[in-house]
Amino acid sequence: MSNPTGDAADDQTGRFVPQPNGRPRPLSPHLQTWRWHITMTASILFRVTIGAASVGAIFVVAWIAAAAFGPEAHAAALDLAGSPLGLLVGFGLTVVLFSLLLNGGRHLINDTGAGLTITSADRLSSIAIYGPVPLAILFWVALFATGRVSL
Amino acid sequence: MSAQAQYKNGVRVSERHGAGEWTLEKILLALMMPLGVWLLSTAFTLAGAGYDVVLQWFASRLNAGLLVVTALVFFGFASLAWKVIVEDYIHRPGNKALLLGLLNLIFLALAAASVFFIVRLALGSAPLPAGFGI
Repeated sequence: MSNPTGDAADDQTGRFVPQPNGRPRPLSPHLQTWRWHITMTASILFRVTIGAASVGAIFVVAWIAAAAFGPEAHAAALDLAGSPLGLLVGFGLTVVLFSLLLNGGRHLINDTGAGLTITSADRLSSIAIYGPVPLAILFWVALFATGRVSL
Repeated sequence: MSAQAQYKNGVRVSERHGAGEWTLEKILLALMMPLGVWLLSTAFTLAGAGYDVVLQWFASRLNAGLLVVTALVFFGFASLAWKVIVEDYIHRPGNKALLLGLLNLIFLALAAASVFFIVRLALGSAPLPAGFGI
């Protein structure tokens, strides 16, 4: 706030308007103006999820490619995936997939205009935020319990 | 900054096709829901699976077909979703166009590679680089 015109000088949007006191100010308030709400966390996490899922998709394509390149390549990919770092990445990928389902579901429900009362919007956001990690842990407990994955 | 806005029947042209893009993004996301659940069950089936089991899985037309659909739907959705994100934060027209072009190129390449590998695995083709004379 030391330089009130600093933002306006770097204005990329053309949305700054002169206020009655003569200072340029952005047309609409942004994050720093709103009191934080859980729906904002869910919304931001959905964008993070899309980013993470895009990176995760590269791993999946690499695994499919390894299978297409024959037994040796597939075995190398399997070794990588079974290493401690590989298992950590694999756990992260399942968190991202659960997040895509829960947060994407929240988004789709809200897009129809449903679930937009404060109570239901909060509840949907909570599910989208707190659901993925426990579900991913359950998924991996099942993987270890059925002997598909082992350390 | 940008070209003069064009109007049709008093409505900006951009406001017409913008809604179509939004609808397509929603349709792709809705398709991702059942496909995502199927992907989870697939991950569970194939976790730690050996080469033969993986080939057997891909030999099923249903599995291979669903995986192709999943790849196309996901990368299509990712392309549109990234467009929304980039347009929200990058406002310099040159940077924005460059970034969007780059992202679309990456997603197109990933989608094409997925389809190529999946089709080869489904048809039981010899391991790559067979057929490329290397």
